Amino acid sequence: MSRLTQHLLLVLLGGVTLRVSLGEGYLAYVQAGFRPLLVAAGVVVLVVGLVGVLRARPGTDDGHPGPPVAWLLLAPVAVLLVVAPGPLGAWTAERQAAPVAAPRSDVPLGIGADDPGETYRTLTLSGYAIRTQQSDTAPLEGRDIRLVGFLSPREGGGWYLTRIRIACCAADASAVRVVLDGEVAGAADQWVEVVGRYAPSLPHPTEGYPEPALTPDVVTPVPAPADGYED
Amino acid sequence: MHDEVQVTRARVRSTDVLVVLLLAVVAARFLLPGAFDGAAVRAWSTVFVAVCLQALPFLVLGVLLSAAISTLVPPSFFARALPRRPALAVPVAGAAGLVLPGCECASVPVAGSLVRRGVTPAAALAFLLSAPAINPVVLVATAVAFPDDPEMVVARFLASLAVAVVMGWLWSAFGRGEWLRPPVRHGHTAGTGRAAAFLGVVQHDLVHAGGFLVVGGLTAATLQVVVPRAWLDAVADEPVLAVLVLALLAVVLAICSEADAFVAAGLTSFSLSARLAFLVVGPAVDVKLVALQAGTFGSRFAVRFAPVTFVVAVAAAAFVGWWLL
Repeated sequence: MSRLTQHLLLVLLGGVTLRVSLGEGYLAYVQAGFRPLLVAAGVVVLVVGLVGVLRARPGTDDGHPGPPVAWLLLAPVAVLLVVAPGPLGAWTAERQAAPVAAPRSDVPLGIGADDPGETYRTLTLSGYAIRTQQSDTAPLEGRDIRLVGFLSPREGGGWYLTRIRIACCAADASAVRVVLDGEVAGAADQWVEVVGRYAPSLPHPTEGYPEPALTPDVVTPVPAPADGYED
Repeated sequence: MHDEVQVTRARVRSTDVLVVLLLAVVAARFLLPGAFDGAAVRAWSTVFVAVCLQALPFLVLGVLLSAAISTLVPPSFFARALPRRPALAVPVAGAAGLVLPGCECASVPVAGSLVRRGVTPAAALAFLLSAPAINPVVLVATAVAFPDDPEMVVARFLASLAVAVVMGWLWSAFGRGEWLRPPVRHGHTAGTGRAAAFLGVVQHDLVHAGGFLVVGGLTAATLQVVVPRAWLDAVADEPVLAVLVLALLAVVLAICSEADAFVAAGLTSFSLSARLAFLVVGPAVDVKLVALQAGTFGSRFAVRFAPVTFVVAVAAAAFVGWWLL
């Protein structure tokens, strides 16, 4: 591999990194706060490659072969350009689901007042899931609760309302799922807003651990948010 | 034979290959629009790109630091800063890991440049293992991820530092110089100015380490898609097996050391000791790191160093976990 090829590979890698981090594409892969680091890295790689390309002159190639492994730099570029993979969805949710741990505190966590001007309270999916697992679920009862997530199929029929959580990047994804305990028509990966009431947890169809549940009253399809991951 | 290779090289230049590959990428984009829509393919692609993007800034930081060490810091600095006897230089270099706020992708090129600058390999390896594990960013992340178990931070610090020092001493006792293949410095930047030398090192290391990072990303994404989470939770109740399984999980997941505490915190069905093993093994041995080490120090080094580090890390985590947690 000639020096010029190495430099061109760096230009390509820096270029796609910048493209993905300056748009909204990066939100499918890493946390929102990671953007400045990605932009900086993309700029450094792009500039180093460009300087190399500009300084390379025909005939100055010293025959110093680059490492064959460098060809692999084309792999992330190709995957980003051809597949342009979006955020993780229902397929990952089914494989990365785990039991929800009950909070340790003896005092039940409250959910606060209704949203301003509304008759429901909006919670994150993990916030709701944790509160359903505490020994005292009184703060949830008698309240209308609004949750937003995508649909993923439940074994034996029915749907979960689902969010993927990432701590750092999509490689550490885990899923939070709430059983929609009622009739819901929809398709996997469809984003919906659900307003409903607390329902007692249901056993997982095969593993038996308790799964948080909600009785849906109103299910409205919504567009997928730019950043679909929960922290 | 040698002549034939020369002839082929002259006919098909690597820039031609690059153009053909790029045309293939563009063609795939337009001719096969639906070919990559399978859920598993998309999930694999997302994880692969995520691992590469997540590691890239840290790799760039490491490469820049390493180039600065190689071209701007005189070798005499390290001769003065580190004790001459390897037995003493190892713990000093291990403790120096406290100051490099990066993850493991940054520490590999830096350790490589330390070896080139004449630092005894045992000390450079201690730094390689300790820097990603005990730096302040990682320790704070661990404290945030385990708010109810502050002893986890102390346990992680002690176990990881112990791994770094023990591995450094093991290397100075049993290591052989011929296992190490420090990257060759290309001669063509010699004699030019410092800026050109710096740029030359950055270009060389970015292409090289970047390629091995992609190897790690491919491996991690494939394993993630192949191994479902349910297999893990099945062994959480067996104390010894749980430690081993989470240690192996750390190897295959290849998560950045600044994020692994949050992942470990989520593995709630496992004991604290098992999760400590995850945190101690991850920054020391994982598929991405082994690929980077093989690229920097040679595969003869990596096949010896990685398994021994794994055993030492599991032992250190088990001992500290039994003692503190």
